[in-house]
Amino acid sequence: MTSLRPNLKLMRLFEENDMEMKERIAILENYIMQRCLWQFHSRAWDRENQNNGILGITKTMLLGEEPDLSTPELKCYWVDAKCLVDGFKTKFPWVNEMNKEDIAAMMDGLKERIDYVTIHGSLNEELTVKLY
Amino acid sequence: MPYHTFKCSEMLPDREKHAVIKGPGEDITSALPLGNLNTVPGTITERGCAYCGAKHVIGTPMKDVIHMSHGPMGCTYDTWQTKRYISDNDNFQLKYTFATDMKEKHVVFGAEKMLKQNIHEAFDAFPEINRMTLYQTCASALIGDDMDAIAKQIMKERPGVDIFVCNAPGFGGTSQTGGHHKINIAWINNKVGTVEPEIKSKYTINYVGDYNIQGDCEIMTDYFNRMGIQVISMFTGNGSYDDLRAMHRADLNVLECARSAEYICNELRTRYGTPRLDIDGFGFDLLAESLMKVAMFFGDDCVEKAKAIIDEEVARWKPELDWYAKRLKGKKICLWPGGSKLWHWAHVIEEEMGVKVVSVYSKFGHQGDFEKGIARCSEGALAIDDPNELEALEAMEMLKPDCILTGMRPGEVAKKIRIPYLNIHAYHNGPYKGFEGWVRLARDLYNAIYSPVMNLAAIDISKDDFETDKGFMTRTMLSDPGVPREELHTENMYTGKMDIVTHLRDKTYDFPAPEPKADAAV
Repeated sequence: MTSLRPNLKLMRLFEENDMEMKERIAILENYIMQRCLWQFHSRAWDRENQNNGILGITKTMLLGEEPDLSTPELKCYWVDAKCLVDGFKTKFPWVNEMNKEDIAAMMDGLKERIDYVTIHGSLNEELTVKLY
Repeated sequence: MPYHTFKCSEMLPDREKHAVIKGPGEDITSALPLGNLNTVPGTITERGCAYCGAKHVIGTPMKDVIHMSHGPMGCTYDTWQTKRYISDNDNFQLKYTFATDMKEKHVVFGAEKMLKQNIHEAFDAFPEINRMTLYQTCASALIGDDMDAIAKQIMKERPGVDIFVCNAPGFGGTSQTGGHHKINIAWINNKVGTVEPEIKSKYTINYVGDYNIQGDCEIMTDYFNRMGIQVISMFTGNGSYDDLRAMHRADLNVLECARSAEYICNELRTRYGTPRLDIDGFGFDLLAESLMKVAMFFGDDCVEKAKAIIDEEVARWKPELDWYAKRLKGKKICLWPGGSKLWHWAHVIEEEMGVKVVSVYSKFGHQGDFEKGIARCSEGALAIDDPNELEALEAMEMLKPDCILTGMRPGEVAKKIRIPYLNIHAYHNGPYKGFEGWVRLARDLYNAIYSPVMNLAAIDISKDDFETDKGFMTRTMLSDPGVPREELHTENMYTGKMDIVTHLRDKTYDFPAPEPKADAAV
């Protein structure tokens, strides 16, 4: 289970009252929740893997780095990440104008929100059932 | 929590948390009904049983199989017309259904002997079929007939015959979802890995969780084949028994209905390392992205083919979709499917057809299904878990929808209060998957909402006076007033053929040559 420890970097960001960043994260969160299915696997541990894998690669790609595609599992994460990157850049042109530091902070914040909505804040009582 | 209490269920406090309204600013962390719980005593559920989930949903779409229920013959009712999972072998699995016809004397004295005799008779009657699925029912489960032992005896006595036993009695779960689970796990435990497939392409998938309703699965496999991808197995629409024994050899599991079939994808991922990719086969935008995802997994040559398919299909069908979208704009619908359309359609049908989804429900969905559906719904949508008939009626009175998208049982209830319904379980005039299929859905939705008969049916001819010197409102008079004049003739209504599936069965495809795999000789 992912720790519930707060993301200090993100908190600092928000303490600086960066509403624009908050709004941007909310826009991307909404985009994911309306278009994607990968974040809704049936168990908490599976959602953690999915969120880590896909949002991790999305962040890597938005930062202009090469993702690791060495296994079928990683490649499967990558196809969802690639669609996210393309969607973000096309639908929200401001993503293309952000610097790397802001992109990294935004993606950390987005990851935290998706983890919250799908895992830690989820009302789904089946998430912690041990068997499928 | 924005729970919604139906007046008709006020005396059933256990129903309190089974319906929510997604209010302004709310998301799934504040609006989520309970799900996958035993039906509350006192309510009349529309659910099916676990046996139904195992056999009628997942098992029976397998096409080259004698599907036999070990129980009373009424258990095997759902076949032709109630289920429309067609196949390319003249619908053998729909035309013929088998039950051992268990009676009281068998319950008292046991039915194994009779079961064995039935199995032999069925194989004798259809010598070209040498595969069988055998389903436990409540009756045979309670008396403890050892179906596995009988199946083993038969396979020994009839070499070449293979039998799959599914122990999912009707009471084995909250609803049909219990049977989905059991048959998924039984299949991977007992059959996957027992056949080696002929690998024809460098790229291979299993297409999972599509039951070929009026040809859905065949539309999708045509796309995949045109992309150079070999579909090793379809789980289970138009699926072949032996192909499904070879699921372990695919490079990727492409999953549609995660409610009914995520279990086998998860197990294939754990046991064989095959990744699971969830897709949407409905709606232009989501389908296009889904095809691209599958293509990207395999490589650039696949991507080019996928792009060509998408461009061609969108150019051909988008104008016709737009014709309907202009006329459906603002119409309110209740999206009340069995399971996966709850999330597949919740957003994209609003985006691409202009309708407003005012309610979603599921009879057997889990909370995870409602998370997907509610996340995609607009504000104000009423989400109901395991509704009873009175709740559905109350919801319709409250929401005043223009059409109910659901199955036959609740659909007939809607018709009684003169709300048109569209059958999205067995379909009206599907397939609804694919680009053309999405236009067919728009066409059927248009026909349901604007059929002149809906107004005429509201007249009680036994007592109401009506004007005999005037005609009736035609569909054009009903649907076109809101369409800008200059746009009335810029696109066409649906121009496709009645049957868009059969011709696919004669197509041949070119696949990129497979690469030798190190473990292929095992």
